[in-house]
Amino acid sequence: MFQSPSVVRFKGLGPGFWPVTIVLALLSIANAWYFLYGNIDWIMPGASQPVADRASDIDGLFKFMAVSSGAIMIFVAGYVIYFAIAFRARPTDSPDTIGVQIHDSPKLELWWTVLPALLLILLTALSINVWYKIYFGTKAPALTMEVIGHQFYFEFRYPGLKTSVFSKTEPMHLPVGVPVRLLITSTDVIHQFWVPEIRLKSAGVPGLVQSLNFTPLRTGTYDIACAEFCGADHSLMRGKLVIEPVATFNKWLDSENKTAAAGGGAINLAGGSAGTGKTLFAQKCAACHNNPPTPFDQKLVGPGLLHITDDPAHPTLVTGKTPTPEHIAEILQNGFTGPIGTMPNRQANGLSDKDIANAVAYLTSLK
Amino acid sequence: MQAGTSTTHEAHDAHDHIHPPPEGFVRKYVFSLDHKVIGFQYFFTGLLIMFIAGSFAELVRLQLTDPNGAIMSHTAYNEMFSMHGTAMVWLVLIPLVTGALGNFVMPLQIGARDVAFPWLNMASFWILPVAALILFSSMLWGGPHAGWTEYPPISLADGTAGALWCLAIFTIGISSTMTGLNFMVTIMKMRAPGMTWTRMPLFIWATFATALMNMVATVALSVAVGALFLEHVFSVPFFDPARGGSVVLYQHMFWFYSHPAVYIFIIPAFGVVSEVLPTFARKPIFGYKMIAFSSMAISILAFTVWMHHMFPSGIAPWLQLPFMILTYAIGIPTGIKIFSWMATIWGGRIHFTSSMLYALGFLITFTFGGLSGIFLASVPVDLHMHGTVFVVGHFHYVVAGGAVMGFLAAVPYWYPKATGRMLNERLAQLGFWLFFIGLNGTFLPMHWLGLEGMPRRTATYAGFAKAFPDAVFWNQFETAFSFLMAAAIGLLAFNVIWSLRHGTLAGINPWGARTLEWTISSPPPYYNFKKIPQVFDRPYNFDQPLPYRNTDNELDEFPEFGRVLMPIPQPVGAGA
Repeated sequence: MFQSPSVVRFKGLGPGFWPVTIVLALLSIANAWYFLYGNIDWIMPGASQPVADRASDIDGLFKFMAVSSGAIMIFVAGYVIYFAIAFRARPTDSPDTIGVQIHDSPKLELWWTVLPALLLILLTALSINVWYKIYFGTKAPALTMEVIGHQFYFEFRYPGLKTSVFSKTEPMHLPVGVPVRLLITSTDVIHQFWVPEIRLKSAGVPGLVQSLNFTPLRTGTYDIACAEFCGADHSLMRGKLVIEPVATFNKWLDSENKTAAAGGGAINLAGGSAGTGKTLFAQKCAACHNNPPTPFDQKLVGPGLLHITDDPAHPTLVTGKTPTPEHIAEILQNGFTGPIGTMPNRQANGLSDKDIANAVAYLTSLK
Repeated sequence: MQAGTSTTHEAHDAHDHIHPPPEGFVRKYVFSLDHKVIGFQYFFTGLLIMFIAGSFAELVRLQLTDPNGAIMSHTAYNEMFSMHGTAMVWLVLIPLVTGALGNFVMPLQIGARDVAFPWLNMASFWILPVAALILFSSMLWGGPHAGWTEYPPISLADGTAGALWCLAIFTIGISSTMTGLNFMVTIMKMRAPGMTWTRMPLFIWATFATALMNMVATVALSVAVGALFLEHVFSVPFFDPARGGSVVLYQHMFWFYSHPAVYIFIIPAFGVVSEVLPTFARKPIFGYKMIAFSSMAISILAFTVWMHHMFPSGIAPWLQLPFMILTYAIGIPTGIKIFSWMATIWGGRIHFTSSMLYALGFLITFTFGGLSGIFLASVPVDLHMHGTVFVVGHFHYVVAGGAVMGFLAAVPYWYPKATGRMLNERLAQLGFWLFFIGLNGTFLPMHWLGLEGMPRRTATYAGFAKAFPDAVFWNQFETAFSFLMAAAIGLLAFNVIWSLRHGTLAGINPWGARTLEWTISSPPPYYNFKKIPQVFDRPYNFDQPLPYRNTDNELDEFPEFGRVLMPIPQPVGAGA
């Protein structure tokens, strides 16, 4: 037999509805105040002092979203908790107590469809504005350079610089206040060039060149990270970006050019230190070559390097050439792919000129 | 009662004879055609794989307690997070929310004796352990290393393991497509007489929307991983730019499936919440039509937003805009749902069962995940956030805070119907608090870590920790809280097994719920409904008698039951 159940009764929108609403509104305002006027550097790095022009645009959009979605979150969570407490079942209820039997309210539903839609339309307008600035808003770039991703380092090519700069051994340099365009690509797998303080990132996609345009606004040293998974050592694919005054930047470019001209590609091996080379070997070579060095046949990944210059069984290296110090330096510099595997180049191993000189000094001392 | 039978539609006459139950262990429990048994099979298989994939996640978290990597090599770490993601998405979430919940609940809720194609259903399930074996066997060859997305060209370095990964995903895709087709036909053709589209329970609407996506989207994934497989094995250069392929092409095909895939596991959770909230608030669902409509709207919009995963990845700038706007647009139906659920509990009489706690927790965590998704949808802000642990935080708020919370709300809710016994309520509620606190503690700090500059999928973060020293503390904090979630899942598994024997007897309708499955005995007989019921109205009007006729006489045959939380509404005409 069905008996009509007893329906709960309460006044208005429920006990304490308006005070709770006021508290939630105040919390939303506090949240807005914090994002607009507080220091949010612990959420967005360098938010208080933008490092690039696009950073302040993107932060503005971020703050608008943090303020509006923060308010939505506060109201949703606040009301859910409040409703749960205010409309909880009581031990004194008769077992057939039920809630108010409301099925819908077209007016209310219209509001909560239209208001979010309007908010999203506003957000769309703001987003398109910043989007336009990012892709089409930069004045003609005064510096156009290339960023090439490799496993696991970035290569930077500057106009007028004959040699590349590699993130493992040297920071990237940019002049402050000069509009730059980075042309980004990759030679092996997908990488992403990202400087958190600049806020922009772009994938280096093999077979595709993408550009990033911005103007650095503050001098300083910032981190570069690869933001797309690119292989075993993805997490180590990092670098530094130095933003410096134009004069300093030009001086740096000059010195890079001189180094390149003086060296002419070959490395000055005089002054290499076998002792430093030994430490370096333990750090950078021991992953593939036995340390302490063993005879040729005792391989790890690569062959053992003891007696590399005076092994009667192997008068030549796997390259087929005599093991002169110059030739060993050449292998360290350019890498080599041969019958027993691949030796990575200096960029992949992160070897400076000095490092190579030291390593050669150490290796040739192994008798 | 007899009058009711004679008005049954002709189409249903064919179903009015009852097949004898199968005999023998194998036909009953292994190669069963019964949707309920298949539901259990999905449930226990999914739970088992969840343990494996979850322990991978804990290894990942342990590694990150030290900025230089605490426990394993880079390669091992990469394998762990790749296996965690792959197994959780394809072998845990989709099988649990569509396979387990959909299979067990959907035919009962529409008053059917089984799904439309029981043989197909059985085949769908048995593909799952095969795919799982293929996927886990890939670990013998070193496992996949490029994340659950396996983007080429980096994934091509995985060799045999990568090919096996493709094979496993292709295989499970067949299962998804067949289940989608099966459920769509079942819902379209096998509803009880009188159950019009607008009288269906909302879980059925959700299952329908999910089935539609499963059927349409999975094909794109199969093509993507099929092409990747050919590239692995026969070196066909689909994705190799040096030989005329396109790297970005894979991402398009992958996300054309994988964005809907997120909705494939979130929409059934929507359905669960739409059932649990009215039952325990003792109130009709608010805005039935808008909730049903928004499920369908989301499932269709889901196909139009995939490029928001690829804003910095090599698409033309102008192409970013429509995908940004369409992604924003999904916020509108999602908002409608959230607000309707809030209005559902307003003015109710709320019983805090573990199901209800999970559903209320879902409202908070899912809203958070939805809102952080709006940040990622905005092209300029995404250019900063893409590829960081912010994305990981957002995704887990949606998946763990949405899909898994919805699933965890469903387990105590339908467990009494499935087994005839109640879950231990104390343990289940403890599980909720562990899970809810663990979830927020694990994934909240990821948001600011990501914004500060921590890329995702990094085995070490010494460089980042130098720039942002708090990173070490927050990563250890996340790891500690992640174990609370693991404990909650462990507790659930214990509870599920312990209560099989020791739970109090449930009776037909322990929650005083109003959908059709609560009008038959617990557990339901092999044939579900002795007579196919007739439906007169939506199931959510708590001030009315149940809108069913022809529910046969089982309601009078109450077993002695341990406790009845709420009075059971009587069906139309019962005792009248």
